[in-house]
Amino acid sequence: MKQEIHFVTGKGGVGKSVVAAALALKLSQAGKKVLLVELGDQSFFRDFFSLSQVGFQPVSIRQNLSIALWSGDTCLREYAGYLIKVESLAKLFFDNAVMRAFINVAPALPELAILGKITSGPRKHGPPLPFDCIVVDAFATGHFKALLEAPKGMAQAVQFGPMGEQSRSIDKVIRDKSMCHYHIVTLPEELPLKEAAELSQDLKDEFDINAEIILNKILPVPISVEKVTEYTKQEDSDMKDFAIYLQHHMQRQTEMLAEAEKVTTNLRSIPLFFEADPWKLTSLMAEKL
Amino acid sequence: MAAELFKNTKVLVCVGSGGVGKTTVAASLAVLAAKEGKRVLVLTIDPAKRLAQTLGIEGTKDITKVPGQNFAGELYASVIDHKKTFDDFVSRAAQKSEAAKKIFENSLYKQLSTNLSGSQEFTSLEKLYTAYESGQFDLIILDTPPTKHAIDFLNAPQKLSALFSEGVAKWFRDPEGKKSGFFGHLLQTGTRQVLKVLENLTGSQFIRELGDFFMNIEQWQGKLLNRTVEVHRMLVSPTTKFVLVTSFDQAKLKEAEYFSREIKKGGYHLDTVILNRIFPTWLDLKAEKKGGPDQALVDLYEQMKSFYNHRDTLYQQFESRMEKEAQVLRIPDLVQDISDLSGLESLSELISEREQQK
Repeated sequence: MKQEIHFVTGKGGVGKSVVAAALALKLSQAGKKVLLVELGDQSFFRDFFSLSQVGFQPVSIRQNLSIALWSGDTCLREYAGYLIKVESLAKLFFDNAVMRAFINVAPALPELAILGKITSGPRKHGPPLPFDCIVVDAFATGHFKALLEAPKGMAQAVQFGPMGEQSRSIDKVIRDKSMCHYHIVTLPEELPLKEAAELSQDLKDEFDINAEIILNKILPVPISVEKVTEYTKQEDSDMKDFAIYLQHHMQRQTEMLAEAEKVTTNLRSIPLFFEADPWKLTSLMAEKL
Repeated sequence: MAAELFKNTKVLVCVGSGGVGKTTVAASLAVLAAKEGKRVLVLTIDPAKRLAQTLGIEGTKDITKVPGQNFAGELYASVIDHKKTFDDFVSRAAQKSEAAKKIFENSLYKQLSTNLSGSQEFTSLEKLYTAYESGQFDLIILDTPPTKHAIDFLNAPQKLSALFSEGVAKWFRDPEGKKSGFFGHLLQTGTRQVLKVLENLTGSQFIRELGDFFMNIEQWQGKLLNRTVEVHRMLVSPTTKFVLVTSFDQAKLKEAEYFSREIKKGGYHLDTVILNRIFPTWLDLKAEKKGGPDQALVDLYEQMKSFYNHRDTLYQQFESRMEKEAQVLRIPDLVQDISDLSGLESLSELISEREQQK
């Protein structure tokens, strides 16, 4: 079976991490062996799921579901170790102050290392990654675009040598529709939706990727707009303020849904759940995915 | 009554994770300051269309006086154009125009000035410092880029300057160490090995590009280093205050506590923590059970109330811990998008009211 890779992105604050976790949970419940990957230096899920530790090496947190935290630095370190094979030399390379300063800001290098690791399965390059699915809780919109563009940019800048070669092979995988799936999470609000729409268009234009847009936190209102409007007019109703709030909210949701439909045919909605328990919340969301 | 936050303040830096409403808070604080008679500039990153229209900065690249204002002071706004700010900096720093041109053409520079992690942080601070240096404003408010962590924002210029400090650049310009003496040679043995590793990983063409890049930026390294020092001096000055914006989820509150410690540790002055969009304004947490003909509506109300009550407990714990560090203000969720100056004024009044209550 081919390894599936799912990228989950969106504007900051839209709930993409929880959507990523829900997607990973859903896939694991379907019997697939899933790795949920966080990017960066600090783990959100460690606090969220009250885990004792989340690090570079995957740890199992549920049946069929493991979690890992990957940064450019740790991916590069592993990759260099894998290629160099001489541990002392790899150590010399990474512990050197100058190289550290360089790696910290090197254009596209951390991005390449991360994508290289994520796509190492299909490319059969690097240490083995024994999972059927990888769900990446990826960077927010802007940084995510930079992540995807890194291989293409680097392949253009560096035509020869291993870096150019790897860049081309990574670029090929992230465009492969049979392997990679893209999910852009947004809220029914102007700014997140605008970012989602722009990203979706960019992915289409530059990579021929048809990303799915997930409208998160749709407030489920159990009565009709007409009824709600009625309550907003009743002077004596103690539900008046609440009804006005709901009316605004419903109007905005309808507008935003129409906006989203203009952008894509690949659209899904997740309701807002008033659930504080992290696993329960994730399960509820997984059911809707 | 004047807001405490603005007393003896020349710069306000709004930090926090993405999606917490930094941009709107920054704009509202600017409105508040203008109402108090200050000549104020708000530097924003990528405002919502309506907010950009409100501030009159849609499609503009320069500092613009916000139209339709009637304040005691004056309100100016500007969107930070990262690429342009970076290019301007390089043009100023590179003494010869020929050198600047070469840098602009370098493929690594193109990556650096657009995509690179850390470069938006650099350009934001560069823009802030340029405005600060000009002395044209009583107060400048900076809305920071959507970094995952406030700390990344603060560390970015140092990271960038560490790269350009003489040591690193020299390596790539003179990998064989021909120009260095005896100690240089000792050092070079390690250098050569490390570079060899890098070359194995990336290929010789990349190393050549890199060498070329460092050759070209030679002229502006010193300027960049000086700039980093000046910017840092401005940031730790007692007249520069930090406003940490956060919103709800347990992890975010925890992160906010971590930021506040790091901000203190870095010698910066954290003044205010804003808990943004915490409760819908209609919600009365202590209200008795409400009645109505539609049970479904009442149920939804009760469900939301109990959800927000749970959050309230977490806020209280957060506040009691944070209050040792800074004043903590709770701002409700206004439902309507803030779409005009009067919307910003309402929000600024809320902030001001909450501050007076402290």
